[in-house]
Amino acid sequence: MTMLKTYISILRGTALAATLLLAGSALAQTTATGVINGVLVNKSGISLQFDSDPAGVTLGAAGTNAATVNFGNISAFGPLAGGVTRPSVTAANFTVRTIFDVQVVQGGLNSTTYTLTANLAAAAPTGLSYRVDAITLTTVAQTVQTNAAYNTDIAHNLDLVVLTAAPGAGGPAVATPLTTTINFTATAN
Amino acid sequence: MKKVVLLTIFAALMMISSAAVAQTATGTLTVTATVQGSIGLVFNSDASGVALASGAGTNTATLAFGNVSAFGAIAAGIVRSTTATNFTVSSAVDVQVSKTNSASANYTLKAQLGAADAVNNWSVGGIAVTNAAQSTLTATGTYGANSNFPVAITVPFTTASGTLISNTINYTATAN
Repeated sequence: MTMLKTYISILRGTALAATLLLAGSALAQTTATGVINGVLVNKSGISLQFDSDPAGVTLGAAGTNAATVNFGNISAFGPLAGGVTRPSVTAANFTVRTIFDVQVVQGGLNSTTYTLTANLAAAAPTGLSYRVDAITLTTVAQTVQTNAAYNTDIAHNLDLVVLTAAPGAGGPAVATPLTTTINFTATAN
Repeated sequence: MKKVVLLTIFAALMMISSAAVAQTATGTLTVTATVQGSIGLVFNSDASGVALASGAGTNTATLAFGNVSAFGAIAAGIVRSTTATNFTVSSAVDVQVSKTNSASANYTLKAQLGAADAVNNWSVGGIAVTNAAQSTLTATGTYGANSNFPVAITVPFTTASGTLISNTINYTATAN
């Protein structure tokens, strides 16, 4: 009698196990689960890009942090390219101007504004000087703007002041492209 | 225990260092321009002539003689001469040509009437000007200085009183 009970119990257990296996097999065809432990490290930072201003010369490589601006032919009295104006002409010099935009974007910072500085990468060509927003640039960084807002294009005047003297007499070389690089740095406040 | 303390200090220093470094972004803008030599011309009122009615200091000016006649009153600044058949009124007008970024030593100045005038005779700086061709006023103009080139009109006596005389004189300065 005892053996019979034991035998029945084994049979029941086997049947239950078989049922569970069948059920498990059926479920496995439609469901799969898994767990991935992802780890993210939030890095804060800011980026700077140059954009063309509607009132200025169209930049080369606009939307990047390494753009170009070409004034084309400039003179005290002759025609100028689109987007270039001539705010002043004196006996000693003349100024040509274009406008470009700077946009600085930040992420992960508590900073709400930034400071923009600029400097010439090398000494200016003879007879030329460069100004950003009336700040005459040198090879030493100078503040162009403080408390500038993020995430928006901010227009800046870029002036070339050209001496009117003839080449060899203090004036710039003529009829040849003169190129200068201006370095900009935005620092989160 | 000692290692734990050191690690804690190191971690704290790292956090302080990270917080102290200002976040910056940089960019470079390459600027190119080609300087060209140029010259500019402006008209100025001459102290001895009629003051320019408009445009003094620019390259588009107006010289208004007002009412003129062979024998009647004449405005200050006008020089008049009369013959048996006509009279001439003249006023000093300064022309200033400036040069920039150029080694040019001087300039040539020419003038031409904008429209034909079959009745009156025009001259600039003593040189007759018509609309047929440019007349050379000087071939050795001095840069950066006012040069007086009087504008004169010779009017026949046959011209009806009240007749308006108007024309445009186009000047061209060319660097030598």
